[in-house]
Amino acid sequence: MSKGAVKQKEINKIIRAEDNWEPVGPTPMPEISDLRRWDMRLLKTYKPFYAPFCDVCCFCTYGKCDLTEDKKGACGINIAGQQGRWGLMFSLMGCSAHGAHARHLVDYLIEKYGEDYKIDLGGQVDVEAPHMRTVMGLKPETLGDLKKGIEYVERGIIHGVSATHMGQEGSDLDFESKSMHIGMLDHVAMEVADIAQTIGFKFPTSVAETPLSGLGWGSVDKDKPVVTCVGHNAAVATVMIDHLMKAGIYDQVEVTGICCTSHDNIRYSDKAKIIGPLSKQIFFLKTGIADLVMTDEQCVRCDIPELAKATGSALIATSDKISYGLDDMTHKEVDEIVRLVVEEGKQVLIRDVDKAGEVAAKVLPLVAKNRKDKKVIVTKDMAQELAQTCKTCQLCDRVCPNFLNISDALADVQKGKFDLMSAVFARCVGCGKCEQECAKEVPIIKIMQAAASWDTYNIRVGRGPIQDVEIRKVGAPIVLGTIPGIIAIVGCSNYPEEIEEVAEIAEEFAKRKYIVVLSGCAAMAAGMKKDAEGKTIYDKYKPEFDAGGVLNVGSCVANAHITGAAMKVANIFAKLPLRANYEVIADYILNRVGAVGLVWGSYSQKAFTIGTGCNRMGIPVVLGPHSAKYRRLYLSRKEEDDWTVMDGRKKELVNTEEPSPEHLMVVTESKERAMITLARLCIRKNDTAQGRQIKLNHYISLYKQHMGSLPDDLQNFVRNDKDIPIVYKKEVSEYLKTVGWKPKPLLTLPTFIGTYESNIPIDAVVK
Amino acid sequence: MSLPYYHVNVFTGIKSCKVMEDPQTLAKIAKKAQRPLLVLGPKCGEVNLGGKQLLDYGIEIAKTLGAAICATANIKKKLLEAGVTPDSTYDAVEIINHLKDSDWKGVKKEGNHDFVMFLGIRPDLGNQGLSTLKHFAGHLKTATLCKYVFPNANFSLPNLKDDKWKEYLDNMIQGLKS
Ligand code: SF4
Ligand code: SF4
Ligand code: SF4
Repeated sequence: MSKGAVKQKEINKIIRAEDNWEPVGPTPMPEISDLRRWDMRLLKTYKPFYAPFCDVCCFCTYGKCDLTEDKKGACGINIAGQQGRWGLMFSLMGCSAHGAHARHLVDYLIEKYGEDYKIDLGGQVDVEAPHMRTVMGLKPETLGDLKKGIEYVERGIIHGVSATHMGQEGSDLDFESKSMHIGMLDHVAMEVADIAQTIGFKFPTSVAETPLSGLGWGSVDKDKPVVTCVGHNAAVATVMIDHLMKAGIYDQVEVTGICCTSHDNIRYSDKAKIIGPLSKQIFFLKTGIADLVMTDEQCVRCDIPELAKATGSALIATSDKISYGLDDMTHKEVDEIVRLVVEEGKQVLIRDVDKAGEVAAKVLPLVAKNRKDKKVIVTKDMAQELAQTCKTCQLCDRVCPNFLNISDALADVQKGKFDLMSAVFARCVGCGKCEQECAKEVPIIKIMQAAASWDTYNIRVGRGPIQDVEIRKVGAPIVLGTIPGIIAIVGCSNYPEEIEEVAEIAEEFAKRKYIVVLSGCAAMAAGMKKDAEGKTIYDKYKPEFDAGGVLNVGSCVANAHITGAAMKVANIFAKLPLRANYEVIADYILNRVGAVGLVWGSYSQKAFTIGTGCNRMGIPVVLGPHSAKYRRLYLSRKEEDDWTVMDGRKKELVNTEEPSPEHLMVVTESKERAMITLARLCIRKNDTAQGRQIKLNHYISLYKQHMGSLPDDLQNFVRNDKDIPIVYKKEVSEYLKTVGWKPKPLLTLPTFIGTYESNIPIDAVVK
Repeated sequence: MSLPYYHVNVFTGIKSCKVMEDPQTLAKIAKKAQRPLLVLGPKCGEVNLGGKQLLDYGIEIAKTLGAAICATANIKKKLLEAGVTPDSTYDAVEIINHLKDSDWKGVKKEGNHDFVMFLGIRPDLGNQGLSTLKHFAGHLKTATLCKYVFPNANFSLPNLKDDKWKEYLDNMIQGLKS
C-alpha cells in the first residue's frame, strides 16, 4: 500500500521530521516493498542461486507437492519460489531473534530508567545509530526512541511472515526482495539491542583499546564456584554480577559464558571469562565444571536440562523464549527459589531479570559446595579406558556433520594415542550426534577432554561502535582503495575445518594491512590460536579501526556497528546525508566501500539474515561450505553479466566490464579459496589506480600462493596499465597480452542510480 | 537407492540418483557424452588410494574420456604441479551456477556440457550443488565419482570402502579405454 497522508503524518511524528539535523530523505521508515526497485536492480546482477534441500513442499494440506522438473505445487508455486520462501522464513527467524532480544532489553531498561533515559555513546561517537538514521530517518536520543526502532522492526516482520503463507507471494525475486527488507530491519534491531545494552549496562564505548579478557575453558579456575551463562542476552548476568559484588564474593567465583552472552559479560566486567564459541557448548557442559548453568536466549542447546542433570549442575532458565518445560518460579520469593534449587535440586524458570540475577548469585556458592568430585577432567588414562568399548563400527562417523573420522581416532585412543582425537576435537562443531548414535555408549565428547588443549587465551573486550574520528581518518583511504578493504569476520562456529583457521584468516589480512573487524563466535575463535611466542592476534595487533588493526566489536548484535561503520564512511567522509536515504547509502557502499563479510562457520538463521541485510546495503558476504545448506546465494557470472554503471559525474552509462564486487553471497570450499575470494570482493569500481594496485597486489599474491599461478580473471580487474602492481608488472603485462586484454573505460563516480527506474536523482550520489 | 554414507545427505524428495554398481556401465554412459566436464575439488589432493593420488585418478579419467577439467577451491595448484592446466577455475557454486544455464558456452567455449562428473568435493556441498543441477539444469546429466552415494546426482557410486573405490575407479578407467 502506498503511503497516504495519515500514514505520512504518523511517520513524521515518529521520526520527528521537523528536527533538522538532516533533511528527511526519500524513504523514511520504508515498508516491505518500498525499496523493491533497488533490490531488483541488485538481483539483476546478483541472481539468486538455489540449492534445494528437498524436492517437495509440505507447507499446507494440499501437499506434499512434488516440485521437481518444472512441476508446480497445488498452489502454483515452483521450486525457485519455494526456495525464496525458505530464504524469507530464515530471514524472519533471524530478524525476530534479534528483534525480540532488542525488545526485551529495551523494555527491561525502560522499566528501570524510563523512556527518557538518554543515549550517550561517549565523546567519540556522534553518529550514534547509522541504521536507524538511514533506514528510519530517526536520530534516536532516548530509550523511548529505541523502542520506536523496535516497533518499526516488529511491524515489518508481520508483513514478511504474511508473505510466506500459502497462496501469497510466489515469485522468487519478490521473496528475495522481502528477505532483503527483513535483513535490513535485522540490522536496525541489532543496533537497537546493542545501543540499549551499551547505555543500560554501561559497556565501554568511545574507547578503542578495551582491556583483554580471559578466553578458553582452560582459563577457568574450576576450584572456585563456576557459573556458565549460555546464550545471547546478558541482562540477567549483569544483575548477577552486581549481586556477587555486593556480597563481596565476586573475586571468589568464576563468571563464565559460552556464545554471545559471554561477550557482553566481559563488556560489563573484564573479570568475567569466555569459555568459547557455541561449538564448545556440549563439550564444556559435559566437563561438569559449571556449578550453575544459566540460559537466556538464542543458540542455546535444547537439551541443557539433561546435560545439567548428568553433571549435577544447577540450572536456571531465564528467558520465555527457552522455557524447557520447567516450572515457572517467577512469582516465588527469592529465598524460596534458592531453597528449591539448592536443597531439592530443582531446575527452574525465572522470567524476571532482577530476580533471576539475585537467585543466581545466591545459588552459586551454595551449589558449588560438594561438587568437587563432579569436576574431574578426563585424563589420558581415563580416556583410554573409556574408549575400550568402541567396536569401530563407524556409525558415529556417518552422522557427523563435519565428516570427521571419529572411529579411527577412538581406535588410536584405545592404544593411548591422542593425535587423531585432537584433530577431531579441533574440527568438532559440537553437535553431539556421534555419541547419540553409538550403541556402545562410548562417551566420545568426554574422551575429547583428554585430547583438548587446556590453554588460556586472550580476547579483546568488545568495544561497540567504531568512533567517528576513526572513520574520518580511514574514510579516504578506504574509498580510494589504499586501505585494501575492511574484512568483517563474524558469525557462528560451524567451521568446516580446524577452529584455528579463523585466526589464520584474520591474521593474513591484518598482516596485509586490511582492517579486520570481528564479532560473535568468530571473535572468540580468532583468539584461540597462539604464535610461537604465545601471543594471540589480540595481543599482537592494534585494536584500531585502521590499516592492520584487529578489533572485536562485541556480540552478534554489535554487528550493526560494523555495517554501521560502512554507512558512516558515506556520511562522515563523503558527506552524504543518511536520513531516510537508504538507496543512496547502499549504492555508495556497493560501489565505493571495499568491505566484505566472512561468515566461515555460519549455521544459524540469524547469520543468514545478517548476511542478507549486508547484501541489501552493498556488502558482499563469503560463507563456508556448510552454508550451501542455507539453499540460497546471490551470484553473478563475471564473463556473461552486464557490468554497466552510471558515471555519476558525467551522467553517462559506462560498460565497465568489471565484475566488482563479483558476488553478494557466495560459498567457498576451502580457507585458501575464501581468502582469495575476500581479496577479490574488496575490489570496487571507485578504486584509484594506486588503490587498485594495492588490492590487486594482495589478490595476485594470495592467488599465486594458493593456486600456483596468476589469477585467470585478472583481465577483468585491470582497467589500464596503471592498475598493475609494480612487483608483478612484467608477468601481468605478458599474461594480459596472451588473453587479448584491452584497456577498459574509466569513470569517476560509479553508481547504480540511473541504471534502473528510481525516484533518486543521480545528483543525490554526487557530493 | 541406498542410504548415503553421511546422514547429512539423507535423501528428502522424489528424484534420486541411480546407484551405479557396475563401473563399466558408468563408463559407457560417460563415453556417450558429447562435451563431458570433470569438476575436481580439494579432496582430490588429500586422498591417496593405494599409492595413487585421487587427483591422478581424476586426471586419468579426464584424459581418457577427453573431458574438460574445472578446478574448484584451491586444487588448481596441485593440478599445475602435476603438469595439468585446468580448462577453468571456479569455486564449486560458481561452476554450478554457470552449468545451469543451457546457453552457457562451457569451459572450452564450445557449448555447455552435457555430462558433468564431480570428484573430491565436500559431501554436503557436493550434494547441495547437485540439487541445484537436478532442479535447474535438466539439459545435462551429473555423475559423482566419490565413494559415497550422492542422492541428488543422476548417477552415483555406491558407498564404498577405499579398496573397493580404487577398484571401481580402475575398472571405470578400463571401461573408458575399451
Ligand atoms: S504451499 Fe503450495 S506447494 Fe506447498 S504444500 Fe501447499 S499447495 Fe503444495
Ligand atoms: S558408534 Fe560407538 S562403537 Fe561405533 S565407532 Fe563410534 S564410538 Fe565406536
Ligand atoms: S560432536 Fe563433533 S565429532 Fe561428534 S558428530 Fe558432532 S561434530 Fe562430529
